[in-house]
Amino acid sequence: MIVIDKLCYLSKLRYVNPIEKFAFAVLTLIFLVVSRSIAMGVMVLILNGYLTVRLGGIPSRRYVHLMVVPLTFIVLSILAIIINISKVPLEAFAIPVGSYYITSGWDNIMRCLQLVVTAMSSVSCLYFLALNTTMTDILGVMRKLYCPKLMCELMLLIYRFIFVLLDTAYHIKTAQTARLGYGTYKKSLNDFSSLVQTLFIRSMKKSNALYDSMEARGYDGEINVLEENYPISKRNVLLITLFESALLLMVIWIKLKG
Amino acid sequence: MKKEKRLFLAIATILSLAFGIVPTANAMHVMEGYLPGTHCLIWGVLCIPVLVWGFMSIKKTLEHNKNTITLLAMAGAFVFVLSSLKIPSVTGSCSHMTGTGLGALLFGPAAVSVLGIIVLLFQAILLAHGGLTTLGANTFSMAVAGPFITFGVYVILKKLKVNKMVSVFLAAFLGDLLTYCVTSFQLAFAYPSEVGGVMASAVKFLGVFAPTQLPLAVVEGILTVVIIIGLESFAKPELRAIGFIKEDK
Repeated sequence: MIVIDKLCYLSKLRYVNPIEKFAFAVLTLIFLVVSRSIAMGVMVLILNGYLTVRLGGIPSRRYVHLMVVPLTFIVLSILAIIINISKVPLEAFAIPVGSYYITSGWDNIMRCLQLVVTAMSSVSCLYFLALNTTMTDILGVMRKLYCPKLMCELMLLIYRFIFVLLDTAYHIKTAQTARLGYGTYKKSLNDFSSLVQTLFIRSMKKSNALYDSMEARGYDGEINVLEENYPISKRNVLLITLFESALLLMVIWIKLKG
Repeated sequence: MKKEKRLFLAIATILSLAFGIVPTANAMHVMEGYLPGTHCLIWGVLCIPVLVWGFMSIKKTLEHNKNTITLLAMAGAFVFVLSSLKIPSVTGSCSHMTGTGLGALLFGPAAVSVLGIIVLLFQAILLAHGGLTTLGANTFSMAVAGPFITFGVYVILKKLKVNKMVSVFLAAFLGDLLTYCVTSFQLAFAYPSEVGGVMASAVKFLGVFAPTQLPLAVVEGILTVVIIIGLESFAKPELRAIGFIKEDK
């Protein structure tokens, strides 16, 4: 039901040590956001594309589709940055409307380009992590990073419940549509509300049932799970260290230069 | 005449472009990598006090009755699923509820702030809505500002003895609206306009997102009212269990 979750179980990089993948994705992400350099962005974009599609084996069509997801946001917000309304025309372009101009300067356009590249390459980092690491592995990493225990348990349970509830919602919706629900606009508002109401009651019931079953199996305030052990590959660690230190040097150089 | 025609054509193109893109619109998550590093940090730090407070309140509740943990987790999943369901929208396109408004009404703002950050993390990783670096900013607008306003408005209107339906509608509507305003300002602080600075930029961001967000806020308000009415009529025991209905008859 959730495409990314399905794909990450099929990834060929799934059994690579999650800490390595996490470190690579997050460090690269931080360096990108701090430096905001176009060259670095393009490089990371290509590298992540290669890693995810070639090594990870995620279908390229799927990958492109996923990269388009945040496009709405970027198009709308860039529109807001590029368009200026002023009485004086700026150098890049100026469309006269009455006594005002819809206008923009070159700096601004460069800034937008930088923004698009940084944002898209950051998204590719996020996808590298999401498409090659299962959520349970990410939770394992968070546990190792001293995330509060209660938080980790909540995340574990929420992750499980999301699929239970999505499934329930899906079945309710199918049943509703089979009975000619969502016909008119007013009807669809009503039907949607009754879906949410039923979902709420079901989820309350399920949460009580789950607590009972947990207690029956000896739950006393903490959930203990066994984690899978992934071997650490020396080659990967070396490559990641080299790559990240190269990026770090680049960031320092960019920051010193201007 | 020709000039007018051209202007009309331009406006029509822009509008159709705007609405053509809308179908994939989701609630206003600031995307990954959009904000500069310092902004990410500042918004994150702003959330911490609220998160700590929420965390403490959850811990305290758990000490009293342990079975709240599954309930809280269910609430988190409920908010996630709510925000991923397509809702009927006026423009013919589909959009999503914020979900945190209804969550705040049902479970209280403190719990929703903690659940909110988890839900946002899942949305970033599982749906690519929002991101890891912008988690702080998104948490501030969606899991802190929105729910608190929703809950605050609801409590105040309840004290003033305003009709319950009206107060629920206003609470959800204003909460949604505030989320959208806060996000626009977050973007404006990061990218002040060449002409007119932060305020001008904020107006532009507000304007650009208005066609999707304003109808959404109204629809979300209406839906929340209908949902609450329905729940009150046939889920009284459950509502009492989570403390939404306090006084027993």
